[in-house]
Amino acid sequence: MAVATPGAAPPVGERFPDLDLPDHTGRARSLSEVAGGDPLALVFARGWWCPKEQRYLRELAGLQDEFEVAYARIAVVSVDPPEVQAAFRAGLGARFVFLSDADRRWLPRLGLLEQADEIHHPYRPTAFSLFPDLTVHAAWAGDWYWGRPTMEELRLAMRDISRAVRSDWDLD
Amino acid sequence: MSERPFSDLFYDGETLTLDPDSGGRRFGIDPRCLGGPPVAGAYAHVCALADPDARVPYDQPEVQQARRDALAWWIPLLGEALVCLTTISLDSVHYGGAITVSRDARQFGADPFARLFPGRTHRTDLFGAVLAPPGPVLERYGGAPWPGGAF
Repeated sequence: MAVATPGAAPPVGERFPDLDLPDHTGRARSLSEVAGGDPLALVFARGWWCPKEQRYLRELAGLQDEFEVAYARIAVVSVDPPEVQAAFRAGLGARFVFLSDADRRWLPRLGLLEQADEIHHPYRPTAFSLFPDLTVHAAWAGDWYWGRPTMEELRLAMRDISRAVRSDWDLD
Repeated sequence: MSERPFSDLFYDGETLTLDPDSGGRRFGIDPRCLGGPPVAGAYAHVCALADPDARVPYDQPEVQQARRDALAWWIPLLGEALVCLTTISLDSVHYGGAITVSRDARQFGADPFARLFPGRTHRTDLFGAVLAPPGPVLERYGGAPWPGGAF
């Protein structure tokens, strides 16, 4: 599995900050609450306007049926305001949570500013697989579309984490 | 899971109560709905029947689709008016319905859980506010009503 640790975001093996952000309905959320004791796929996206994000998140919405029967979670963070995220989420048919950093409160602390976009000042497209306690299992830098985790890589990441945290995983 | 993953609630078709001697049908609900300070004068949309035969397996596709719709649009539609919601566990296998509690009853006509059992609105002071589930995760085994329960 290709692993790249981006910017100043925590490297593999370290704890991801417990982001506190409003969700797509405007309700205050924390990342640990969103994880809810399960493995988490955390995706940072540029925003609704980006055709790459539209394509990638549609793919991710196709994976949500598996996540929900496999006791794992998905969260997407972008700089879109909650009401825009709510519309985007509805259009995608997504049932997972979107977190809004419209105030760019966490963006500089995570070192994930997309330098090339001087209009939107969005997140770099990055993705992390996290253990339930938010320890980073793997990270992907997705500036180039092919750098993003494929759905199969996300499945394998969730399998790795679930194997590690579910005490009754093995046959014996 | 060591603790009981549900709290008891009783319903006779007219009244929601915590009184086990009320004669109402016993429902298992997400215990967090009864754990906080109650919201006075809220509206409970009870999509369940007092008839003990009114039950379907949790794994039935209709049940799962109603829960998916709750995550996709029912919770966003209720917005800040939402107090809490819970499915109703009858045992470790069967779904008995769902209850959505809101400060405003005007959206109850759209309740996706009413596709399984018809909804009825009651004024209630029993339920406290619970942060809406972020999803997606299905019900846990062992009779834990969604969105409660964890491994």
